[in-house]
Amino acid sequence: MIRAYGLTKRYGEKTVVRDLTFTVRPGMVTGFLGPNGAGKSTTMRMLLGLDAPTSGRSTIGDRAYASHPAPLRQVGALLEARSIHPGRTARAHLQALAHTHGIPRRQVDAVIDRVGLGEAADRRVKGFSLGMGQRLGIAAALLADPATVILDEPVNGLDPEGVLWIRNLLKSLAAEGRTVFVSSHLMSEMAVTAEHLIIIGRGRLLADTTVERFVRDAGLGEITVVSPEADRLRALLAGPDVRIEAADGRPDTLRVTGADGERIGRTAAAHGIPVFELTPRRASLEEAFMELTRDAVEYVAHDDDPTTPQPTPTSQHATASQGAAT
Amino acid sequence: MTGRPDDLVTQSQQGQPRQQRQPRRRSAGSPTVAVAGPPVDYRVTWPRVVRSEWAKLWSLRSTWSILAATLLVTAGLGAVVAGTYQSGDGDGIEPVELTLLGTQFGQILLAVLGVLVTAGEYASGMIRASLTAVPRRLPVLWAKAVVFGSVALAVMFATVFLTFPLAQVFLSGTDMAAGLGDPGVARALCGAAVGIALLGLLCLGLGALLRSVPAAIGAYIGAVLVLPEVVGLLPYDVVDDIVACLPSKAAQALMMVDPGPDMLAPGPALFALCCSVAATLAVAALFLRRRDV
Repeated sequence: MIRAYGLTKRYGEKTVVRDLTFTVRPGMVTGFLGPNGAGKSTTMRMLLGLDAPTSGRSTIGDRAYASHPAPLRQVGALLEARSIHPGRTARAHLQALAHTHGIPRRQVDAVIDRVGLGEAADRRVKGFSLGMGQRLGIAAALLADPATVILDEPVNGLDPEGVLWIRNLLKSLAAEGRTVFVSSHLMSEMAVTAEHLIIIGRGRLLADTTVERFVRDAGLGEITVVSPEADRLRALLAGPDVRIEAADGRPDTLRVTGADGERIGRTAAAHGIPVFELTPRRASLEEAFMELTRDAVEYVAHDDDPTTPQPTPTSQHATASQGAAT
Repeated sequence: MTGRPDDLVTQSQQGQPRQQRQPRRRSAGSPTVAVAGPPVDYRVTWPRVVRSEWAKLWSLRSTWSILAATLLVTAGLGAVVAGTYQSGDGDGIEPVELTLLGTQFGQILLAVLGVLVTAGEYASGMIRASLTAVPRRLPVLWAKAVVFGSVALAVMFATVFLTFPLAQVFLSGTDMAAGLGDPGVARALCGAAVGIALLGLLCLGLGALLRSVPAAIGAYIGAVLVLPEVVGLLPYDVVDDIVACLPSKAAQALMMVDPGPDMLAPGPALFALCCSVAATLAVAALFLRRRDV
């Protein structure tokens, strides 16, 4: 359980994080979304006590992080910037951290196994690929079997196999009852791993919602149905949890929310209604996210520094995560 | 925020000690990294942080090579200087001073290691991992100082007590012949070891303060080694008194059998040097507490 109360971080005139209040609950993956530069990393560093908030405060496991007698037992963290000396072997790095908490050697071996570092554990980190460095970072995070896991952009730069591995890991950590807080600038990535979303833009909280609700509000889960007997089909599908809209100016096209493709198809088949098209709308998830954050940028631009560019997710990353999804 | 009523998940996850959390999780049959056997008492203690810093120091190759170089360069130069020495060359130089000329290089090597122990963590980002594991921060600095200080002291003792007898092999029969039993010699050798180890510790403090390897080494060479020589040229007695108390001069005084009138006596020199080191570490500690990482 992570709680943030009015977290604010200012560097001189520039406000990087502005009055963030949110709760991250155990047993599920919570995605922390925002464009690059939105303040995600700063927020995470404040949660871990690495950066002091200008105002506000946060607790992890109902206490400030630094006040825990065994901090690694409470929180395992993977920060975006590498936090490993390249001259040490992976095992020496983990062992050095383990010593601070009196964590036994067999536990170091266990996390090395769990992240699949294997024989690379005795090589110096200098020669590690990005993916192996990321696995080592996660091994360090899991070292003391923590109740909460905080990961900053864990899939950044990973190959499809690595992305898939992280996804499965996040889900299994959440299934084990841990609090899992993962940042990303890719909505598409969070949509497949997270249950809950905390979205920020320019340091402000934009949305604190479930993925399901975000998807629904974004018009996602919407299915476009094209049928010559659209009106009849519409009447058959109608129900309390089903929303049906007519497409603009196209009498043969319906936009259905709340019923999946199977139900629509079977209903149509059972009544002999021909269906020409049955298309779930998917691509707009990222669009909806960008729309949300773009608004924030414009809003902030009036009373804040207007010159800072607002990078959007690169196509390279999007390609990598889509590749892994298939 | 304790005692805040919350949902059931929260209660079971956070409201109870971990000894109860772990079996619950394991009984669910999930593939965790939970430790087999009884729950281990994980907590950060001061000896454990020292143990961690000890492991960190020795798991880097640079530690081994710098310490080996310190010893070899000092002893090697001592042997070369002694081997080429002819009576009458050493104008006003003491035998101990002559044999330990190599410490001029040795102390810089040790200073670099001191800087690497602290500033090196900022260069690699390791400091974020270190301070996440020990978020109270200060134990990390103290542990680094204790570990590095003891190692530096041990290595310097080995170095000077190896170099002096080695050099004396070549110096027997010259006017620089001296033995460990001669008055003040053993004390001067100990003083050299302690003084140089303390200078190394000062550099560890500079590294923690400046968070940059080049900046800290620059500050050491500029402010600690060169500045006293330059300022000492000023024609004021007060300045000379102050310069004598500066770290490099105090360390130099410590390795003299007979410190002249320009230098502090061994006791005051040790005191002055310890004060410099303590002040540097104190400021470094203050910064470490206050600043973001």
